[in-house]
Amino acid sequence: MSGGRRSPLAGTFTLVGLVFLWAPLALMALFSLHATASLSFPFEGFSTRWYAQVLDSPEVRSAARNSLIVASATAVGTLVLGTLAAYGLTRSRSRLRGPLTLLFFLPITLPGLFLGVAMLVGFRRAGLSLSLLTVTIAHLVYVFPFFFMVARAALARLDPALEEMAMDLGADRFTTFRRVTLPQVWPVLVGAACLAFALSFDEFVITFFVIGPDSTLPLYVWSSLRRTIDPSINAISTLLLLFTTLLFAITVLLASWGERRRKGRTAEAPLGLVPAAVERAG
Amino acid sequence: MSEPRVRMEQVSRRFGAVTALDELTLDIPPGELLTLLGPSGCGKTTLLRIIAGFERPSSGRIRIDGADVTSVPANRRPTNLVFQRPTLFPHLDVLGNVAFGMQVARVGKAEQRRKVAEALALVRLEGYERRRSHELSGGQMQRVALARALVNRPAVLLLDEPLSALDLKIRLEMEVELRRVHRETGATFVYVTHDQREAMALSDRIVVMDRGRVEQVGTPAEVYRRPSSVFAASFVGDANVLPVDVLEADATSALVGLGSHRRRVEARDAARGPAWLVLRPEAVRVAGAPADVGGDAPAGLVRDAAFRGTGFTYRIELTGLGVELKAETPPSSVHAVGDRVTVEWDASACWLLPRGGEDEAATPA
Repeated sequence: MSGGRRSPLAGTFTLVGLVFLWAPLALMALFSLHATASLSFPFEGFSTRWYAQVLDSPEVRSAARNSLIVASATAVGTLVLGTLAAYGLTRSRSRLRGPLTLLFFLPITLPGLFLGVAMLVGFRRAGLSLSLLTVTIAHLVYVFPFFFMVARAALARLDPALEEMAMDLGADRFTTFRRVTLPQVWPVLVGAACLAFALSFDEFVITFFVIGPDSTLPLYVWSSLRRTIDPSINAISTLLLLFTTLLFAITVLLASWGERRRKGRTAEAPLGLVPAAVERAG
Repeated sequence: MSEPRVRMEQVSRRFGAVTALDELTLDIPPGELLTLLGPSGCGKTTLLRIIAGFERPSSGRIRIDGADVTSVPANRRPTNLVFQRPTLFPHLDVLGNVAFGMQVARVGKAEQRRKVAEALALVRLEGYERRRSHELSGGQMQRVALARALVNRPAVLLLDEPLSALDLKIRLEMEVELRRVHRETGATFVYVTHDQREAMALSDRIVVMDRGRVEQVGTPAEVYRRPSSVFAASFVGDANVLPVDVLEADATSALVGLGSHRRRVEARDAARGPAWLVLRPEAVRVAGAPADVGGDAPAGLVRDAAFRGTGFTYRIELTGLGVELKAETPPSSVHAVGDRVTVEWDASACWLLPRGGEDEAATPA
């Protein structure tokens, strides 16, 4: 690029885009601190009463606990299954390697609505009654491709000569995985598990179909929107937003730290797909 | 003779339709530094990986100290490998790298430390235990890799072009180091390279390989002076390979005809008929003014002249023969491009190889 004047148009577009992105979130956060129950201007002073109300509510607490259980189980399950799948497929010499990898990726393109309906039909067929377990299974299916993508990229970047070297020095396959492969990729894998946690924690559409009698935080927000609208919704949403943003930050930091560690020097964050995942989860 | 350290019995390896190794049989005695030398694709790396246990032969057997290890996986073989590129574990420091094999084998911590210190002293990296791989130069990384392999006292140390990724200056230093380490440890080294100069400088014996077969096995001097084929002659060192006819032959010499010139050369039991005359460039003497000599010395025209420090390298087109001769002369022999010269050589510097119909394909370029 030749250095020259920046187009004023580009700057304007950037600004408009940023305002569209962030203004609603800023307003939501602002009115979560409103002193009155009104959700529109004029703004009549700050208060933390809505946060206090939300944190005291037994329904919110129960929904939050459910969300944490489901997200934790989903994250751990994905970490184990996704790591195994990615390791197996990056080390395989089979001709099915390409098609199988694609099959693991592909569900990322399925709309949540479709997945939700399909899972519901599946559970009914299998005779599984709807519970947090069915939600967890559905979430596993939903977040697996995201985790798999990150894990596969991290494992494929490793130098295969290092694993051969470990075997040459007497390590069997398991010892090689534990002492050579895992130490190089665990930050990225744990980071991707945080991403899985965040995706599950925020998930609404699929959960809506397979939840049964329980509730999760996104479902609670949705159902209270149908009853009354007051700043307590803003408070919950702001808390949710902060929590998932924190998880994404951990994902990115772990990934870039892991990459630095692996290469022994500074490297850029390898998570080109985080923005896509954020967009999808939002 | 004592039992060979490594014995390969008719080892073949095929990848689909490609034969990488063709019924290769070879013994390596203990303590030898053996080089597998050949162009890329000749099967030398495949053979090394078969000894290491990373590849299985399609047929044939591998024995180490008499034990059949053909189906033993790499992690249970008494071999250690140094790769072409320095491959240190990036998440471990030098100590962790060198001690890796002992940790896997559950050797006590104190012994680990002592042996690592010994191994690092051997490769002249005393006190480097806490360095990480990105703090080391390429040469230092290969030294650590060497220490990491040798610390396990392998029956055979396998080296896959370990110097090819290094700068020329470091490479020459590392050759000296490798010779010293080999002397001090008395270990058996199998060294793969495509660099004939490196092979000559390092080896006790050289195995010249081509297209999955052994062309010749011998000491560097044997392979250089008495190549068994045109391929071996032109791959190991520079060689002029001239088409001649053997006119007379006895047990130790032969009279050959090169065009209209007659030359007596040393040869063993040469057969009459067409042959290749192998002539090393440094054995060729170049003299000026052919009119003064008047003898039977082949005449030629200097086509190219290059100063190489210790003397000149000439390319001389031999008059009436249609061949170009390479000559490496001392600095006192000065000729310009376009000069008419005569060439001469010692009978003892020559070597004859049979030239039959089947060898025509191997005609040197």
